[in-house]
Amino acid sequence: MMSFPSPEDMRSRLLLVEDDAGIATEISEELRSRGFDVTVASSGDAGLKCALEDSFSVMIIDRMLPVLDGLSLIETMRGQGVKVPVLVLSALSAVDDRVSGLKAGGDDYLTKPFAMEELIARIEALLRRPVDTRETVLRVGPLIMDLIERTVTRDGREVELLPREFRLLEYLMRRPGQVLTRNMLLEDVWNYRFVPQTNLVDVHIGKLRRKVDAPEDEPLICSIRGVGFMLRVSD
Amino acid sequence: MSLTDHWRTSGFRFPLGVALAVVAALILQFFLVYAQISDLDYRRSEAILLREAALLAAMPAAHRDYVIARRATDDLRVVVNTAGVFTADHHHVAGEMKGWPAGLVADGKIHRLVVTPEEGVPYRLDFLAEVMPDGEILVLARSLHLLAEHKLILRRASLIAAVPVLLFALIAGFWLSRRALGRVQAMYEAIDRIMAGDIHERLPTGHNRDALEGMAASVNRMLDRLEQLMRDMREVGNDIAHDLRTPLARVRAGLDRALTHSEENGTFLRDAVDRAILDLDQCFTVITALLRMAEIDNGRRRDAFGSVSLDEIIGDILDLYEPIAEAGGILLERVGPENPDLSVHGDRDLLIEALANLVDNAIKFTPEGGVVSVSLARKGAQIELKVSDTGPGIVPEERGAVLGRFYRSDKSRHIPGSGLGLSLVVSILRLHNARLDVSDAVAGGDPPGAAFTAIFPVSSPSGVQTRGNSIRLQA
Repeated sequence: MMSFPSPEDMRSRLLLVEDDAGIATEISEELRSRGFDVTVASSGDAGLKCALEDSFSVMIIDRMLPVLDGLSLIETMRGQGVKVPVLVLSALSAVDDRVSGLKAGGDDYLTKPFAMEELIARIEALLRRPVDTRETVLRVGPLIMDLIERTVTRDGREVELLPREFRLLEYLMRRPGQVLTRNMLLEDVWNYRFVPQTNLVDVHIGKLRRKVDAPEDEPLICSIRGVGFMLRVSD
Repeated sequence: MSLTDHWRTSGFRFPLGVALAVVAALILQFFLVYAQISDLDYRRSEAILLREAALLAAMPAAHRDYVIARRATDDLRVVVNTAGVFTADHHHVAGEMKGWPAGLVADGKIHRLVVTPEEGVPYRLDFLAEVMPDGEILVLARSLHLLAEHKLILRRASLIAAVPVLLFALIAGFWLSRRALGRVQAMYEAIDRIMAGDIHERLPTGHNRDALEGMAASVNRMLDRLEQLMRDMREVGNDIAHDLRTPLARVRAGLDRALTHSEENGTFLRDAVDRAILDLDQCFTVITALLRMAEIDNGRRRDAFGSVSLDEIIGDILDLYEPIAEAGGILLERVGPENPDLSVHGDRDLLIEALANLVDNAIKFTPEGGVVSVSLARKGAQIELKVSDTGPGIVPEERGAVLGRFYRSDKSRHIPGSGLGLSLVVSILRLHNARLDVSDAVAGGDPPGAAFTAIFPVSSPSGVQTRGNSIRLQA
């Protein structure tokens, strides 16, 4: 099994604003067991107080909160100049929620129910948001991607990729060593907001993997069972 | 008011109403006849007075005065009630009329004046005053007693007639209302039975093609439709229960087994939990799909509508699904010319989801070596987005059902899926005022293959593209 988080995230401070005591306990215990320092607030105004008085690495805010709802909380907080990344949690059915959640100043959006691994992967992603560098060449281990020439090589051997495969690999190479869930890939690489009936992402990753990882090579793209995929950083 | 009370009061009201109407008609008739008769009487009385005056005027003055004083002619006795001769300055000369009637003008015209005697009630007379050739004034008067008599006769006749007429009206009214209300009563009873739960019951209809019958037939059609909807709902409910029960039963059995065997083998527990989560996820998929459909059907999402290029969506979806088709040995291709200008007013995310479901579905049902093709064309005022495959096709009898919720053809039980894909597509298309058409891909082909065509109305160029800013305020 994979272990989260990597050392640099140790003692990352998280604020969880969730009014359902059961879910709050479940999430906070899980996050603590993975080494995060978690503060829990059970209402919108309590959450806002925490957010303004203390500093956090990432905030997880439920949309529906008593007293002050999640979106107003985020807007107020952003208005006060707090730039901490926010992951918005929402109840099941609201389709439009995502748009309004991101509009209000959320950075990512997760619909209940979610797998704990999905939540962890997204927190990780928010903790180390890829630095949008001006670099035109990405390097991960033996992989080199030239963003201008649109070429990829592994150990000097050219890897021919279709545009969509190039896009997928670029996304992976910008987030090396980070667990990426199927939904994250579908949302970020393809910009789709629905859960397809087929394991689309697996097939795409499979094709990419066959091109990137030759049989004799040490595999770079690895599957993480029940969670998603990761581009392994060689030591 | 209880049903029987209603029935009783209606049973009285109706014939009572009819009787009242008949009485009103009777009164109206009385007045009309009376007006006719009195008009006739007036005119006759006028004619008599004028004729008598003319006769008298033709006589020598002395003879005339004598005739007036003695009322010597028959005519004067019968048709003229009172008469007199006066000087030009209204002094009495002869006749039983001693004083000049107040308000009378000697102009040779008929004047209807009220005379007030020293004792008794005032009464009306028709007066005629005419200047004779010798300068004296002749005054003739005729009472209207005949008219009063006519009025009396008429009134009595009407009153006598009123009793049988009223009786007849009441009886006819009772009979008619009993007939009508009897039918209404039968309908009330049928409705009572329906409300009590007998949804197969219908309102009684006979052979009268009247308004009541028409309404009953209309209500029956509504009941048929409601019964069908209820049956559908119940089926959907059963299907949901079944689709949730199966994975939940697996979860329960798995966890149960894990509990008994976990101490012998640690990995056993972990596997069981993994499987349980997979099964629960399947339950959530079903629930989420249902909730999404309900939400789409509510139509709130139109807030986020914009102009969406269907061409672009097709490109994206083919790009997304090509590797899957390839893995199954299926050719996924775009046929027909590209139409970059064909756009619809809609929600991009939902339209992508709809097309993805259609393509996903087509790939699932197409055997290895088959072809799934997507085309886009404008036909008149419609835009047709078609996904066809070379699979077994759908027999016409099943075409309506495949679009319903949870339908899975017997042949496809082995293919995974929530069974909600196509109904989600239908919901999304309905939101866009579009519909889904199911047909053979190749008519008469073997196998015929299935073609799903989403038919959109051509969107007006003025389509409002607003994004719901109000969402922020709603929260």
